[in-house]
Amino acid sequence: MPEQSFIIQRYDPENDRSYEEQFSVEYEAGQTVLDCLNEIKWSQDGTLSYRMSCRHAICGSCAMKVNGKSMLACKTQVTEAASKGDPIRMAPMGNQKVLKDLVVDTTKFVAQFERAQTWLQPHEDQEPPSREYRQPVEEFDHWSHTSTCIHCGACYSDCTVAAVDEKFLGPAALAKAYRFVMDSRDTKKEQRLRELSSMEGGIWDCTRCFMCIEACPKDVLPMDAIMELRSEAIKADVANNHGSRHYKAFRGGVQKRGRLDEATLPILSAGVRPGAIPELLSYTPGAIRLLRTRKLIEAARRHGASKDGREEIQRIFEEVEGEKQHHDVDSESFAAEFDAALH
Amino acid sequence: MLQHDVLIVGSGLAGMRAALEVSENPDLDVAVLTKVHPLRSHSGAAQGGIAASLGNSDEDSWDLHMYDTVKGGDFLVDQNAAELLTREGPENIFELEHMGCAFSRDDEGRIAQRRFGGHTAPRACYAADRTGHAVLTVLFEQLLQRGVKVYSEWYALDLIVRDNVCQGVVAYDILTGQLEPIAARAVMFGTGGYGRTFQVTTNAFASTGDGVIMAYRAGIPLEDMEFMQFHPTGLQGSGILLSEAARGEGAHLTNAEGQRFMERYAAERMELAPRDIVARAEQTEIDAGRGVTERGDSVFMDLRPIGAERIRYALPSVLHLARDFAGIDPLEEPVPIQPTAHYSMGGIPCDVNGQVRIKDQDDAPIDGFFAAGECSCVSVHGANRLGTNSLLEAVVFGRRAGRGMIEALGDLAPTMIREGDMDRAVAEVDGLLKADGSQNVGAIRKELRGMMMEKCGVFRSEGQLNEALASVKDLQGRYAKISIDDHGQTFNTDLLDAIELGHMLEVAEVIVVGAMARQESRGGHARTDFPTRDDEQWYKHTLAYRDEDGPRLTYCEVNMSPQYREAYPPEERKY
Repeated sequence: MPEQSFIIQRYDPENDRSYEEQFSVEYEAGQTVLDCLNEIKWSQDGTLSYRMSCRHAICGSCAMKVNGKSMLACKTQVTEAASKGDPIRMAPMGNQKVLKDLVVDTTKFVAQFERAQTWLQPHEDQEPPSREYRQPVEEFDHWSHTSTCIHCGACYSDCTVAAVDEKFLGPAALAKAYRFVMDSRDTKKEQRLRELSSMEGGIWDCTRCFMCIEACPKDVLPMDAIMELRSEAIKADVANNHGSRHYKAFRGGVQKRGRLDEATLPILSAGVRPGAIPELLSYTPGAIRLLRTRKLIEAARRHGASKDGREEIQRIFEEVEGEKQHHDVDSESFAAEFDAALH
Repeated sequence: MLQHDVLIVGSGLAGMRAALEVSENPDLDVAVLTKVHPLRSHSGAAQGGIAASLGNSDEDSWDLHMYDTVKGGDFLVDQNAAELLTREGPENIFELEHMGCAFSRDDEGRIAQRRFGGHTAPRACYAADRTGHAVLTVLFEQLLQRGVKVYSEWYALDLIVRDNVCQGVVAYDILTGQLEPIAARAVMFGTGGYGRTFQVTTNAFASTGDGVIMAYRAGIPLEDMEFMQFHPTGLQGSGILLSEAARGEGAHLTNAEGQRFMERYAAERMELAPRDIVARAEQTEIDAGRGVTERGDSVFMDLRPIGAERIRYALPSVLHLARDFAGIDPLEEPVPIQPTAHYSMGGIPCDVNGQVRIKDQDDAPIDGFFAAGECSCVSVHGANRLGTNSLLEAVVFGRRAGRGMIEALGDLAPTMIREGDMDRAVAEVDGLLKADGSQNVGAIRKELRGMMMEKCGVFRSEGQLNEALASVKDLQGRYAKISIDDHGQTFNTDLLDAIELGHMLEVAEVIVVGAMARQESRGGHARTDFPTRDDEQWYKHTLAYRDEDGPRLTYCEVNMSPQYREAYPPEERKY
């Protein structure tokens, strides 16, 4: 049988000691990283701690870092994780406190679901129907992929915003919130969008880094859901903050003039309102520097695209809007395209 | 001291549904205790559906569902329970739907329903092939909204029962290693099954029979433990579940000769015969040398007749599981599958309100102790459970147990935790932490599971069972001489592995002893030396008490008194 070595990031809480330890395991074709961890625990070192239960990617217990990326140990083939005889490096998930070895404290991650109120809020003063609510197949197909979340936390572990902002709701909770925003049985759509838009760590804090989509072992596409939430918030006219104004100014500028309007973008993002004055003043030194180097004048001179260019942009906008109407997320082909683009 | 009106151990469908019901009453303080976070519970692994005669896809009725259930269970089903299961099924499903459960839909926007083995109508309500996950998630959402207290990653070690009255449990906080008594006027177990006792299983590592053994050790007999269900379609080797929904959607089973062998075993229902029949058919083909692949220990499940588009839409998990865990693309080639230990029909005996009762002693109640779901034996599945009836059971009887507890609380005295209640648990934990024996937990567990698969699997015989019992006794002896590596307090899963093995060794013994005694073949219990059902001798439930030198068996009657219709008398079981 082939052999594979592992370097495991260990933490002994009772002596507050962190260290790396190397193990070597024989494995058969088809075995997973979790199979190897079990082999280590059961025949080499019983003190090694990690969570696991179902071993087929549905319970969400065994998310951890394999060679620096968060994934389910049970779903990762040894041969997939190993490259050129190098050891496979195992570490606990990120953005959460380590309790012991590969076990992290998930309290913060779980609390985000509570903050995002990810449960159905039907009519309070109206009895539900005697049978089921009717829900078109198309509606179910539109959001059902987000309901496949197994709450493993891999997305949260690799999220670049959660790394710097404890308050960020994170990809999983937001994707789940999206589902309730879109579920026709829910009656709090507008209220949800307003809160998700205005609360600290809400939908406008995502940096669109794609890490969550890459980490997700299911078909949730969290970042996609966050972007949809932004569109919904704008559509419902409940978003009036820096992020949404920036989005509108960016899009509006391109649509109107055929190119990014850098001169007006910061002003429109800050908002035309008294409260924006300090923010606008804070741009003054930068603006003066731009004026000195003649860059602002250059930006103003290139104010719009040619007539042909503008028409082309307009055509693209119309086409995209048209496509959106028929937009069903085919997560499998999306994931395949995404993988192809990455590698 | 920790104290609640109601403490529910286990956070799968039965546990959470019961907790939800109790939490509707604002005067009651309810908590859930679970060794894994609620969303990690094994109910979430159920794939194909949850049964109810909604009639969305074809004409259906509760009594047809009841008949299918009774016949599927080879007539060992308690018919008062099967009646309630099927009558209350639809309202329970609609309730889940109103809570926001993400059910798949039909063209009319209603809950979609598909065919399943042993059911005469398409009555499996489904959420693609992740139905358990969808229901588990929605119940957790509801608990979260209501702020129900959850002891997450706490492990119950003992049930405290004094003079047939339950007082609470002794629990171990996995994070800190502290043992605590938790007093509760009503305790409910929804602790799941024990498929991990077998080598090839669909079950999660957590399914080690903790709850049934806690009850057994507290003096409560276990019912019908010899009836273990082997699911026909586990991935070769690992036993990972590929949903019966695949066959419901039209997948074929074939042997090495390319023959759809089910035509020789269940000509009418073919692949959609009940699980015990399909699993035996597969095992017969394998034993006759008609198994597939080099190993010859499997048959093929061919999904291609379903068509690629429908597979992608209705069976995405099956598709992913075969690709990720067997490296096989079901769109291109058939998947090698084999019978895999899946579900325990037996368990803690209780009535239709979840009240645990000693059925051979005039149904004497254990006051304040309730059970629901796989760990319980109502007995709604008899000798063989039909697919999609387990989720329904967990929800229907979880809700009923919740109501049962609310009702019972009025008569229950305050609990008394006494010095000494913790003694056994403290001794077990301390003993294991300090043990310096030469035996290894992993090695004993591996032998136990392999042995149970081989000698107490799909087919059993007196010779095999005698060997199995001797082997269990030997392994129990070795277990007394184990030691573990981890002596720490924090997240000591090495210690938990050892405790769970102790539970599995007792489970195995009860299964084997019950199987030895039952000299007939019925449902999930198939004896090669007694190949037919014997209603004259064996139309009765087994009860196993824990005695000094092993399980002591007694028997009790099958309930034949449904309330709203005549009982279905035993008949020949043909499909």
